[in-house]
Amino acid sequence: MEIKVCRIGKEHPEEVEIRCHEVTEEVREIVAFVKTRQGQLTGHQEGRQYEVAVTDVCYVEAVDNKVFLYTQKQVYETRQKLYELEELLREKHFLRVSKSLLLNLMKVQAIKPALNGRMMAVLRGGEEIIISRKYVAELKKALRGN
Amino acid sequence: MREKDFWIDLLRTYAMVTTLITVVLCVAGSLLMPELTFGYQAFSAPLVYGLAGTLPNLVLYSRHELKIGELLVRKVLQLLLIEAGVFFVALYGSQSYWQRPGMLLVLGGSVLAVYIVANLFSWLADVRSARILSRELSAFQSSREES
Repeated sequence: MEIKVCRIGKEHPEEVEIRCHEVTEEVREIVAFVKTRQGQLTGHQEGRQYEVAVTDVCYVEAVDNKVFLYTQKQVYETRQKLYELEELLREKHFLRVSKSLLLNLMKVQAIKPALNGRMMAVLRGGEEIIISRKYVAELKKALRGN
Repeated sequence: MREKDFWIDLLRTYAMVTTLITVVLCVAGSLLMPELTFGYQAFSAPLVYGLAGTLPNLVLYSRHELKIGELLVRKVLQLLLIEAGVFFVALYGSQSYWQRPGMLLVLGGSVLAVYIVANLFSWLADVRSARILSRELSAFQSSREES
């Protein structure tokens, strides 16, 4: 695929246009990447497609090879992989807190102990998420800006 | 926890438990039975008791993240296995427990007390860490919301 970047004047809105023969998985990934950079994720629910604001997502969880976005009230399936989202959402304050879960630190109300060196993140809606012992150190680093 | 991390953790615990048992035997023996002398085989006692105290940690291993309830059940199982292991080593290694079975109760009670105290300290350390993390989280969120 050829890539062109054109500079435009401030009077024109910035845009990304993909010209392709077919909308393949690769094209969808590029679209998803650009949307994520703009603070949007594409989620699916009951066959319909939704644009979900990253700031509304409390956590992202991988279950049986499927990845789900959890907002306070809704659950959406996404086609992006957890490791891709981990990279893309790092700047949006998402942190991996277990093998299968990315947590939005901005949605956490408090942290409680959860036995055996693990911690539990209490979300603003009251939901509780286990932070694996291995990732507690990562959480400390993230909060201290290291 | 990954399997490799688990085994590293287990070895670290074994080294720590063995050292502590050596210290306890040294201090308690010097105070309670200073007249006793032992051969080289006495060096194996902390190693064997350390194994009895550490191997039951295997029940805590899981590929997936354990729920609180699951972990509690496994902790109880771990305690029972430690008790069983320590009893086995005590009965197999010393005649005095056969002659005075009441000593087994003291031994079992001591293991239980040590287990509870160790877990209590661990819990208190976690509570402290959680408080610090909550404070840091709050500061993190405030700074990000401002910017």
